[in-house]
Amino acid sequence: MTKAKLDQLRSGELSPVENVRRALERISKLNPKINAFIEVNNDVVAQAEALERKLKRGKRAGKLAGLAIGIKSNINVNGLRATCASRTLEDYVAAYDAEVVKRVLAEDGIIIGVNNMDEFACGSSGETSAFGVTDNPAAPGRIPGGSSSGGGAAIAAGMCDLCLGTDTGGSIRNPASHCGVVGVKPTYGLVPRQGLIDLGMSLDQIGPIASDVYGAALLLEVIAGKNQNECVMLDVPKVSYADKLDGADIKGMKIGVSPQFSEITDSAVMDVIDKSIETLGDLGAEIVDVELPHIEEAMPAYYLIVSVEFFSATRKFDGRKYGKRIEDVCGDEVLRRILRGRYISQKEYRGKYYQRALQVRTIIRRELMAALEKVDVIVGPTVPKLPHKLGTKLTPMEMYAYDYLTIPANLAGICGGVVKAGKVNGIPVGLQVQGMVLGEEQVLRVMRAFEAVS
Amino acid sequence: MNMMVGLEVHQQLATERKMYCDCPTNYQDVPPNTNVCPICTGMPGSKPLSPNEKAVDAAIELALMLGCKVVVDKPTYIQRKHYDYPDLPSGYQRTSLPIAVDGELQGVRIREVHLEEDPGQYDPTIGSVDFNRSGVPLVEIVTEPDMRSPEDARRFLRQLIRVLEFTGKVRPEAGGAMRTDVNISLEGGARVEVKNINSVKGAYKALKFEITRQKAKLGRGEAVVRETRAYLESQMITTSMRLKEMEEDYRYIPDPDIFPLVIDDAKVQNIREQMVEPPHLREQRLVEQYGIQQAAANVIVSERKFADLFEEVAKEVDPKLAAMWFRTKLKKVLNYMKLSAADIEFTPKQLITLLQMIQHHKVTPEQGELVLRELVKKPADPKELVQRLGLERIEWEDLELAVKEAIRRNQKAVKDYLAGRKEALNFIAGKVMELTGGRADPREILKLLRAELLKKS
Repeated sequence: MTKAKLDQLRSGELSPVENVRRALERISKLNPKINAFIEVNNDVVAQAEALERKLKRGKRAGKLAGLAIGIKSNINVNGLRATCASRTLEDYVAAYDAEVVKRVLAEDGIIIGVNNMDEFACGSSGETSAFGVTDNPAAPGRIPGGSSSGGGAAIAAGMCDLCLGTDTGGSIRNPASHCGVVGVKPTYGLVPRQGLIDLGMSLDQIGPIASDVYGAALLLEVIAGKNQNECVMLDVPKVSYADKLDGADIKGMKIGVSPQFSEITDSAVMDVIDKSIETLGDLGAEIVDVELPHIEEAMPAYYLIVSVEFFSATRKFDGRKYGKRIEDVCGDEVLRRILRGRYISQKEYRGKYYQRALQVRTIIRRELMAALEKVDVIVGPTVPKLPHKLGTKLTPMEMYAYDYLTIPANLAGICGGVVKAGKVNGIPVGLQVQGMVLGEEQVLRVMRAFEAVS
Repeated sequence: MNMMVGLEVHQQLATERKMYCDCPTNYQDVPPNTNVCPICTGMPGSKPLSPNEKAVDAAIELALMLGCKVVVDKPTYIQRKHYDYPDLPSGYQRTSLPIAVDGELQGVRIREVHLEEDPGQYDPTIGSVDFNRSGVPLVEIVTEPDMRSPEDARRFLRQLIRVLEFTGKVRPEAGGAMRTDVNISLEGGARVEVKNINSVKGAYKALKFEITRQKAKLGRGEAVVRETRAYLESQMITTSMRLKEMEEDYRYIPDPDIFPLVIDDAKVQNIREQMVEPPHLREQRLVEQYGIQQAAANVIVSERKFADLFEEVAKEVDPKLAAMWFRTKLKKVLNYMKLSAADIEFTPKQLITLLQMIQHHKVTPEQGELVLRELVKKPADPKELVQRLGLERIEWEDLELAVKEAIRRNQKAVKDYLAGRKEALNFIAGKVMELTGGRADPREILKLLRAELLKKS
């Protein structure tokens, strides 16, 4: 667990070099099977040594000092490949650090390597990577979820301490749920996207994946806050979350539950979630019903919007600058989204599809905002069903159905986190906690309170 | 023949920084691909900064100068215009919705003004792209099809350039900072757009060519179809780029990485208060305020610095005299030396001194012009210049002596004059000029000569 690890690092019981070595060992042992990392940072031991020298000189230790951190392959880390798990960018070495990477490095985090993912974050299973599928360490032989498949699996397998994932329609929360780890999708505009390779620009957020709520909270506070060199951000100064988690108390908090959740969700999954809700009630929270009547419409609207934005974002991969033209080498799902985006963004179809989708988005946002006026957070399932076995063929619509419950938060721009709720036949199920815009503190508090008793 | 011509004028703004990043804009002065960063080269993951406020302000000012209504207090989206070309690093160009609409200049209605960014520069011969220019801010000014001839269009463009340059917020047209698309339709034919025009002359030539081409087609009974053509400057002709059915669909979407612009009214008022007076309005004011001729006012407002200098001078000198000197003499000297008003080094005070000397007949206009030339070349106090050039006005008695001497020496010419050959007088006057070393006023010489010769007749 992150907190214990940090205590060891701070007391000197564990040195950064030793921590990094252990992570490397574990990666080299497990990665051939799990495939959670695309690339390991060769410079990592030297970086840990440099950190030790710095600490010996009496310099202040950063919040993440000595922790081994994996970065999703769609985030630029100077000198490492930023492939997006695609043939288009397979040889593309990042020439600059994403803003979040700068912030991690400034707090003495050590970037251990680059995590596998669904190609260009287009997928909910970890199976669309050009670098091969990722296995689920918590349920071997099943998908780890996606698109931050490598991050979820790396944390579940203990290959590193923390990971940065990205969430456009559930891509952090979905693998966190399937892998039984913690993940947070921050409020849109809280975390800088400078250096994040786009899927859907109006939806993408970078967020933490960790083995515990404390780790997620700590990494989130390191990366969150206004970046002057970016336009579309909320005007939020530095925030702190981790130090508010001790003895997290949810007595008297109003926790919303929507009857619509169970209509979409498999009963085995719902049983685990219902038990979790009972637990929250036992901890003193007031459970309140909230209506989210249009929640099912979010998914089709999302896939129209994300496809149009993705089409736009991928125009730069025209084969002139980055080797291979995206349409010539990408996988089916990426191509499907590009062609869909290309089709519905045509002048003649704008009103029919894209504008309609934006209207639905507005409805979903209003609905969630109205619900969150009445309650502090909304809790429920993360994914409507259990992860399928690797190699099972799903239709695109079956695959998209994984995202029913995570998409609304992205469309509304609110925050959401996932903490392990329990298991069905040994397969993890995650509890999703959604909060209002900039409601990270409440979301993390509920997650921590639940984690403490489970 | 009835025709309608409309223009889309793209003009680079003279900001120091690019539109969406902090790179410098002096793309012509530096080696290729040195004024670049992840943002203006569209590297994967890069996000734009907020739109350059100086560029937005400049666009507002230009729009106000063209009499446009600025779109205030509501969101103006920056759109992505998608097309595939090597000079476009992200595969789309950012272009705003109109920031101002409904203006007018010289009888031509301005439909809208919006902001764009320049792409890089692609060299097809060697297949390389220089991204130094990528992201340099532009305004696009779109007119209604209110011009009726190539001459109309040329006149409008010249006027437009003058307005733009008056603000001091645009790059000079001469450097290729202005690009124009022209739309032309002749009676009985469809609208044809011609792109790739880099100068006023180019616009004029392209229109001339199109008229000839379209007339010939219509004359043969063929249809002039809706299409986009390219102007080839070297040959001064246009060639077809694509037909209407092939028109690209740019798939515009609002850029999700940029907040829409919201221009508030107070900002517009502030810019309006501080903006320079547009030349066409200033021309009218000069006529009314100083009682000078329209033609003179027109020349005076050809450049903002020139007009500023005039108004400074007109405070101390008879405005009509000053206007005459600005319109003819000063403009002539500057043109001859290929200088613009911005290059003038002499002080307003020096010019005032010179014009006062002329006004009070301390020097003749001819002498004044010599001094003016010196003043432009190497500024100094005109009084010193007069001395240095030996131009001090001759004393009256000396002039009388010179006249008498000239008559004495040129008896044949005198006889001719008295016999009725008037031009002989000019010959004698020239001799007086020689004797006085050009220090006398020719008009006074003639007057004195006539009086003297009258005594002899």
